[in-house]
Parts: sequence; C-alpha cells; structure tokens
Amino acid sequence: MTPESLLETAVLLGLFVLAGGGYGGLYSVGRAAGRPALIRAGRACWVGALAIAVVIAAATPLGVGWKLLILVSALVYAVIPPVTWRYLERTHSDEGLRP
Amino acid sequence: MYRSQRLSLRYYAAAVTLFGVMIVFGLLSALYYLYPSLLFNVFNFSTSKIMHIDTLVIWLLMAFLGAVYWYLPKELGREVEGMWLAELTFWVFCAVVIVVAAVFIFVQYGPATDFTLWFINQGRKYVEAPRWATIGIVVVMLVFAYNVVATCVKAHRMTGIMWVLALDLIPLVLVYLDAFSYDRNMSTDLYWWWWLVHMWVESTWEVLIGCVMALVLMDVMGTSRRIVETWLYIEVMLVLGAGILGLGHHYFWIGTPQYWLSIGGFFSALEPLPLLGMVIHAVYDAGAHRLKTTNRPAFFWITTEAFLNFIGAGIWGFMMTLPQINLFTHGTQWTVSHGHFAFYGAYVCGVIAVFYVAKQKTSGAAYLDGKAWKWAYGLLNIGMVGMVMGLLLAGMAQAFFGRAIGGSTLMAFTTASENPWFVSGMYARMLFGLMFAAGYVALVYDLVTSPRRIATPALQPEPA
Repeated sequence: MTPESLLETAVLLGLFVLAGGGYGGLYSVGRAAGRPALIRAGRACWVGALAIAVVIAAATPLGVGWKLLILVSALVYAVIPPVTWRYLERTHSDEGLRP
Repeated sequence: MYRSQRLSLRYYAAAVTLFGVMIVFGLLSALYYLYPSLLFNVFNFSTSKIMHIDTLVIWLLMAFLGAVYWYLPKELGREVEGMWLAELTFWVFCAVVIVVAAVFIFVQYGPATDFTLWFINQGRKYVEAPRWATIGIVVVMLVFAYNVVATCVKAHRMTGIMWVLALDLIPLVLVYLDAFSYDRNMSTDLYWWWWLVHMWVESTWEVLIGCVMALVLMDVMGTSRRIVETWLYIEVMLVLGAGILGLGHHYFWIGTPQYWLSIGGFFSALEPLPLLGMVIHAVYDAGAHRLKTTNRPAFFWITTEAFLNFIGAGIWGFMMTLPQINLFTHGTQWTVSHGHFAFYGAYVCGVIAVFYVAKQKTSGAAYLDGKAWKWAYGLLNIGMVGMVMGLLLAGMAQAFFGRAIGGSTLMAFTTASENPWFVSGMYARMLFGLMFAAGYVALVYDLVTSPRRIATPALQPEPA
C-alpha cells in the first residue's frame, strides 16, 4: 500500500459508512416527517454508498476478502433503514406512538 | 426521595468533579504536544496522560453506579438492600481516588519493585492505580453487585432490565480481576490486558449503559417497557455476537496468531450496522414525540448519543479497522481521535442525560429547559467534534509521513511530529479542547442552578 493509497482508502471507507448513515438518517427523518423528498435523498445516499463500495473494490489495494465484505455491506445497508423502520412501527403500534 | 437516590446524587457530584479533573489533565496533556519541554523534571507527560485516562474511566463508572442506585428503587418498588454498605463504599471509593491521584501527582513513579506495584503505580495502561486501590475498586464492585441482587431478591421482582443488569454484574466484577494479572511475555500480557479494556470497558459497560438508557427512555420519553426491553435484548445479542470477537482488532500487532487479522477485521466491520439501526430508532422516537418532552436537555443528549455513537464508533472506527489500514494507523493520533469520539458518543452523552433526569426530579421542575444547557450542549459537542477533527488531521500526518513514508523509525516519528499538518492538528485540538472546557463550565453551572419556572407545554409524555 502506497502512502497516498493509505489515505485514499481510509477516507473512502469513512465516506462509505457516512453515506450509509446519511441514507439511514434521511430515510428515517423523511418517514417521520412524511417528506418523500428526504426519503429520495436518503436513497441517493445509498446509491452513493454503493458507488463508493464499487470504487473501493476497483481502485484500492485492499485484499479481495475485505472488498467482498464491503460490497456485501453496501447491499445490507440498503435494507437496514426500511426493515428497522417497519420493526419500530410494529413494536410501537400498541403504544399509539407514530411519528 | 429514596436513600439510594441521595447516594446516587453523591455519585453524580463525584462523577462531575472527576469529569472536570479529566478535562484539566486532558488540556495539560495537549499542551505537552505543543511545548514538549513543559514542566520538564517537574511533572511528566505520562503521568498527565494517566490522570486524563484513569479519571475518564472512574468518572464514567461512578456515573453508571449512580444511575443504577437512582433507578433501582423505582424499578423494584423498594429501598436498595444494604444501603449502609453502599454508602460506606462510596466514601471508600472517593478516598481511594483522592489518595491515588495524590500519589500520581506528587510521587509519580517508583523503582521496579513490589512496593511500587502495591503503592505507587502498577504500570498497566488504563489501570495504573496501585494494587491496594485496585482491590478497593473490586470491593466497591462487589458491594454494588450485592446491592442489586439482594434488592431484587428482597423485592421478589425481576424485570427484563434487571435480569440483564444482574447478569452483566458477573463480567463487571470478574473481568475487572484481569487488572491484577501480568505476564513476563509481552504478547501474552497484552492479550489478556485487552480483555480488560475491550471486554470490561467496552462490552460490559455497553450493556450497563444499555440498561441505564432503557430506564431513562421509559422515564424521559415514556417509552413502554416492552419496547425498551426488546431493544435491550437485541443489544445484548449484538454484544455477544459481534462485540466480543470485535476484540480481535486489538490483536492485530501484538504477536498473536495471524487469524486474528481476519476475525478482528470481519467483526469490527459489522459494528457500524447496529449503530445505524440506533440512529433510525432515535429519529423514530424523536418523531413519535414530535420533539416534545418534559426534559429537553435529557431528550437532546439521548438523541445525540445515537448519532455521535454512529459517527465516532462507526465512521471513525471503520476508517481504520481493516488490518491493511490499521497497520499504519494504530497507536497514532488517528486512534486517539476515534477513542475520543467513540467514548463521547457511546457513554458521555448518555451520562449527561442521566444527570439532567436527576436535576429535574430534585428540583421538582415539571418542565426542564432554558438557555444554559444549550450553551453546554453546543460548546461540548462543537468542542468534541473540533478536537477529533484536529486529532484526525494529526493522526493522518503521522500515518502518512511517519509510518507509510518513513517506515515507523524513530527518526520518521520525530519528523512526522514536526510536520506542519501534525502541529496544526495539535493546535486545533488545544483550541477546541478549551471550547470543550467552556462547555463543561456551562454544564456544571446549569446542573447546580435551580431551573427557571417555565410553563409546561401540552402533549408531554407521561413517564411509564
């Protein structure tokens, strides 16, 4: 790993999780506030996370196993916000607490 | 108010005081990086760092104990069993901390003898307290465990939260015993030492703060017991499933077998996923309550905990957790940046929320809000974000110039430490550290002053 690729790879890994977090945050705020534009912005973040994962897989010197793990993680990120949200709605439904 | 809740307030007062001591020594440690000859032959950097880190561990531990003593009678409907022992051990705990701090400050270090091990410094990072004091802390933990279990038995009542807390007491006491052991083989010694740091401070404390936050959520947001207990079980499952083997990321470079690279990297890479779930849950709860609560400071600190935990542990951790990256970043200011952010997000925000719960109850305010807490909230959060950004910049300079280019030699370390990127990062850390200290002053001011009478807005959640 060259000095430059060290920093590039680390920053890409950070941005990957940041984009995943952006998806979760915007998706859930959009759902809570009933604003579809925010949900779409959240999905755009996930596309960004996927794109970063592809760049990590294609252009960084990480091992193949780690690249596969990141690509699979990107796919898992896609389902976490909607699945968690549905689960929250289900567990909260008896309490009458809905955003 | 129960007797144990009065004890809890004493624990909070001690914790807030030690929080301040931690900040003072943090600022002093930061100054050494800017002026390396500071206090030369008077007070060395390593002792300042010991004070900074050990007070962090102790003030958080005291706050956790205080939080449990606060909620235990409410949860079980009776006074805590063995209160006189609990009160006695509180004063023993305080005395131990004062004596150890005095020894660290005025004696600092001793020759490599058993006397030093027992009475000055046992030389193990994060648990430098001499052995007699370590025994004292074990006694405090045992009494705490007795208080919890005996109260549950006497009350003939076990809630889900109490089961998790009672089971967590086992590693809370047992894993801390690891503070006593040492091995002449450095690899073996570090192998077990990381059990103490990762399993005790990270995993066991994660469950403990999870129990405390479950109780706080019921109190502040009126969330139902069924919901908080469900999420608590999920958290325990994640700690057991991924958190324990996440320990492996500490085993990369200490002489352990190579398979730890794969185990540590894999399980650490999973860690951001549940943290993302926490962010979504926080947004859901904030939306469900439409940001309305009877205790706004506690509510905002709880919500902030979810976000900063994700950023500090998730993003900052993932940047440097894979072995190929970690080879260059471990032990640099990059790690320090991650450590500050993760601890602040995972524990400090939650503990401050607990302080505000106690403030509301003791002041009798139906609705807690105002300006001072917002100053504290803003200064502490901006101060922390600024500090970790400065440390990240400095750490990247160290990894780039000192490790990747310079090859980790002493000369490369020195060169990297004089690099303008590193130096400017250190100045930024100092500046934002002062801002953080100002936030602490605002926090203390807000906690000790009586709240102004504010009319209670409508639609407040009823405590569960």
